Amino acid sequence: MSVLSIVVWIIAYPLIIFCIGVLLGGYERKFSARVERRIGPSWIQPFYDVIKLMSKKTNVSHGYMHDVAILMLLGGTMLTLYFVPVPGFSYFSQFGDFLVISYLLLIPSLGMALGVGETANPNGSIGISRALQMLAGYEVPFILTFIGVAMKEQTTSMLDIIRVQQAGGFWAWGLIAHPLLGVAALIALQGMLNEKPFEVIVAPHEIATGPMTEMGGKYLGIMFIQHLIAVPLELTLYINLFLGGASNWLEYLVKLFVLWTALISVNMVFGRFRVDSAVKFMWKISLPLAALGVIGIMLNIA
Amino acid sequence: MAKELTQKAAWDRVLAKLKKNSLWMLHYCTGCGAIELPPTMTARYDMERFGIMPMVTPRQADILLITGYLSVKTLKRVILVYEQMQAPKYVVGFGSCTINGGMYWDSYSTIKSLDQYLPVEMYLAGCMPRPEAIIKGFSWLIDRVGKGEANSWRDYYENYEFYRKNQEELFGGPIQSYQDIPADAQKFGILEARQ
Amino acid sequence: MLTSMLLILPLAGFLTSLAAAWIVPASSKARASGAVQKIIAGIGFAALFVFAFLAKSEIGTGYLGIPLFGLWLNFGLTQLSWYFVAMVAGISLVTVLFSLQGLRDDGRYPFYYIWLFSKTFGMLGVLLSADMLTFFIMWEVMSWCTYFLLQQGHEKAKRAGAGYLVYAVTAGMILLAGLLYVYFNVGSFDFRTIQKAFSGFGAGRIIVAMLLVLVPMLIEAAAYPVHWWLPSAYANAETGISAYLAAISTRIGIYGMTMFLFAGFGLTALNLVTANKYVSANEVLMIIGAFTMVVPTFTALFQHDAKELMTWHSIGQGGYMIVGIASSTTLGIAGGLFHVFNHMTYVSLILFSIAAVEYRTGTTNLNKLGGLIKKQPVAYLGLLFGIIGLAGIPPMNGFVSKWLIYRALILSGHPFIALAAFIATLGTILSVYKLIHNMFLGQLPERYNDIKEVGWGMRLPIIFMMAVVWLTGAFPGTVLAVVADIQQSLGLERVAYSVHGVAAEMGQLNMLVINIVFIGGLFVSWLIYLAGGKRKHIGQYDNYAAGHFLDKSIPYNYNYNFYAGMEHIFERLLHKPPVKRAEQALATFVSGTSEYVCRIFTGNITTYSAYVVAAVVVILLVLGGGR
Ligand code: SF4
Repeated sequence: MSVLSIVVWIIAYPLIIFCIGVLLGGYERKFSARVERRIGPSWIQPFYDVIKLMSKKTNVSHGYMHDVAILMLLGGTMLTLYFVPVPGFSYFSQFGDFLVISYLLLIPSLGMALGVGETANPNGSIGISRALQMLAGYEVPFILTFIGVAMKEQTTSMLDIIRVQQAGGFWAWGLIAHPLLGVAALIALQGMLNEKPFEVIVAPHEIATGPMTEMGGKYLGIMFIQHLIAVPLELTLYINLFLGGASNWLEYLVKLFVLWTALISVNMVFGRFRVDSAVKFMWKISLPLAALGVIGIMLNIA
Repeated sequence: MAKELTQKAAWDRVLAKLKKNSLWMLHYCTGCGAIELPPTMTARYDMERFGIMPMVTPRQADILLITGYLSVKTLKRVILVYEQMQAPKYVVGFGSCTINGGMYWDSYSTIKSLDQYLPVEMYLAGCMPRPEAIIKGFSWLIDRVGKGEANSWRDYYENYEFYRKNQEELFGGPIQSYQDIPADAQKFGILEARQ
Repeated sequence: MLTSMLLILPLAGFLTSLAAAWIVPASSKARASGAVQKIIAGIGFAALFVFAFLAKSEIGTGYLGIPLFGLWLNFGLTQLSWYFVAMVAGISLVTVLFSLQGLRDDGRYPFYYIWLFSKTFGMLGVLLSADMLTFFIMWEVMSWCTYFLLQQGHEKAKRAGAGYLVYAVTAGMILLAGLLYVYFNVGSFDFRTIQKAFSGFGAGRIIVAMLLVLVPMLIEAAAYPVHWWLPSAYANAETGISAYLAAISTRIGIYGMTMFLFAGFGLTALNLVTANKYVSANEVLMIIGAFTMVVPTFTALFQHDAKELMTWHSIGQGGYMIVGIASSTTLGIAGGLFHVFNHMTYVSLILFSIAAVEYRTGTTNLNKLGGLIKKQPVAYLGLLFGIIGLAGIPPMNGFVSKWLIYRALILSGHPFIALAAFIATLGTILSVYKLIHNMFLGQLPERYNDIKEVGWGMRLPIIFMMAVVWLTGAFPGTVLAVVADIQQSLGLERVAYSVHGVAAEMGQLNMLVINIVFIGGLFVSWLIYLAGGKRKHIGQYDNYAAGHFLDKSIPYNYNYNFYAGMEHIFERLLHKPPVKRAEQALATFVSGTSEYVCRIFTGNITTYSAYVVAAVVVILLVLGGGR
């Protein structure tokens, strides 16, 4: 890649992902509206929301950590984004593998946690407590599935894992080659995206939207932007690990929307778990699935 | 200078057009009228198609929906909540009780006219207003926001003495507030932006 | 020459400050005495630091022999021991600098610096020992110094110190058995002779010898089933001491483990044991390491005291080192050794921050603190950097070593150990957030309304350690260079590092790029942030409470029982931890049946000292006679 194209990609990449995120977010709201036999909002409703929030005249924060946290939230997500390869742009992936990505993903969580902590609102703190417990819930099976894949291919680099899958065609896709891992990761992904039945963090009726309680104006706006980037980011992780990556943008978008549709369909038909039930579900259903898959791979290698 | 202003005005016009598509609502449901909100939100009337969503905390909301009568005690809370909201913010009086006391017109414990205490952007008349009326009203509000005419919230900053006087008269003494409204008006430049 | 200075300096410091304590009457001029002690400690540890770094030139050549009852105590400097010596010297200097202001002159710790000198002497002695006998003797000295360091202050600390002693004595006895076993099999204490002899032995004898020397090391490193002495001992010590002990003292066990595994008995012996088809020694160690990571980390989650929480983490982090080193892969060993350094930096940083809070508020109870970020921003930042390092989140240094360990585990086919490491990391994130939230975030209780930030004497060490944690994260190559040299000196493959990460042939990690992209991301976010409207800071009572007016009379905070869901899940395990129960049963048994065991714990220092001296003399006489 030439320097110029790298620079162009560096600028364009977050914007493109943001646009995709807006579409995915709008699609989700439209989809749930249609399921409920409503008309639903516009397809780019999240975009309007962000603009509205960012153009608020007054904004209040509870202190400097609250301000910095919001930067950590978005900055950390953008940082992670650059290390996730998409078709045509994988320049930064050579500097950090999947382990790096999975740890970078923690920066936004930590940032948000710190900022919400400073707002001194117990609803927020409870939300963070739940968010972190959920993190412990879904990350464990998700990382085990990755460990399995990495052990199989003897690499921790995301690029290599994509390459192997694309070389082998459809039958080499992670989901097909190691179905147990694929399914376990899918369940974990549902939790990672905070969709029902694992939507315990925001819980508007119990804890007043948890982490978002004291967030208003541009603070909430940046949280929305981060969310809109994080959704395609996390879906892309799954696509790269289990759905064979993508060789062009059309394929990528198709996979993105198909995967997203599957997840939000599940979201539509479930209620919400209690937090300990959600964590237990992850550890009792998803984790053993992943463990079985990994044992299978170990037996295969040996 | 003039050019800059027009540019800013043009930008504001574009922003207003975008902003009108997203209005989040905090409903203060002490009155009986709240019962009309669920049908307004759900499949039958689907408020979300206008981008109007219920929100939970005052920090996040744009619209403060007062669904009906307010006793003096709850008005204190409403004022607190209103002041915690982020401008631009719109108070919507819902039902006749907020307009003139409605069927509580001679009650000793309810307030009679909300706009004495908070800057009301829009009233929805009726006892109680049907979802059609609510949708109609909100469409009108959306239009006003889109044209940049929904400016009642500025009134609270500009004529704060008026509201404060009324509030204190009602409560019979200085009121508890976290906000220093005139200082905020200075800080956020709300007063000069008017010209 | 320089090597011998490393032993002479702390000993001299110990004697001088002891003499100073005698000469300057403590009762009338307690303050003056404190000042003298501080000056001696400051100069002594600064000199030690300088000598430790100068001694690098003497690696492999420095030698010191001390005759003792017809035997020679041999001291020398190897690449591995220099790494630890440098860390000991560095962290003891920072601790002393912190303590100059951080330790109140209230006369509760009259022997603080004296025991610090003695402890440093003990540790350096162990690190510099060049044969097994010296190692054992210095080991005993070190254990006793630790005991003396621990039993200062209030009654609880004394009891915890006594608890430590039980484990230390046990470890010493096992080590003695190992020493004798090796001696009777080989006929020498010299490591080179042992190596030569061991390469001819069968696996059985090697396993016995390994067990006898590794178990004491694991006790010292507080590995899983034998870790119970640590939390109460460290948490009840003065916070500066906790920082010092948690940062490096426990890691002497890791040094011993590495030394015996790779250098002491030789790689041939090691290969013989690891090549065993059914139970390979390093897998056993890794499983111990995995338990050490997971169990204490999740125990930490439910602690209500900041220091206790951190000491549990100190145990848990030891698990990473054990796992990394026991994995016997290039990356794993590099990660394990690097983790010792990283752990030292961020654990001391965290405990310094806790000390700063304790200095002002007088408590470390997590249920009573809160909202201190407004009052002690430097301590907050210190804790923040520390916990990012501890949780192993980029861009701090803890990430690099953890990354090395993960990669080693995954590629060497240990998925479940890798998973354990990851679970421990998640547990760490949970509990460190609880730590920082309950201390610094949330509502500020009214009683802390007029506390101030601590003085510069405490702030500067915190800021310095913050810089270390970040910079070694951005440029891990600076430390990895030393680690690679150690690997080479042990006859292992060198880790392929670059200044800012790990070179491409051993994976791909570039911390500098991560830092730059992160800063770029922050910058862009800042621009977006600026694009929004102006903002105003508001007070903590202007808060969403469903329309309720908050004021100081209303506790509006969530910190007690912070992870209720997790507690629910681990309920059964939490209330009956098996090891603790077994230990309690043992303690009841021992104290119930043996009067003599009870009499050890009289709390009288002279008795203890008599024990030490008697033990050492007897051992020396027996061994000296044997020769
Ligand atoms: S206007 Fe009618 S419906 Fe509404 S609160 Fe008053 S009495 Fe109830």
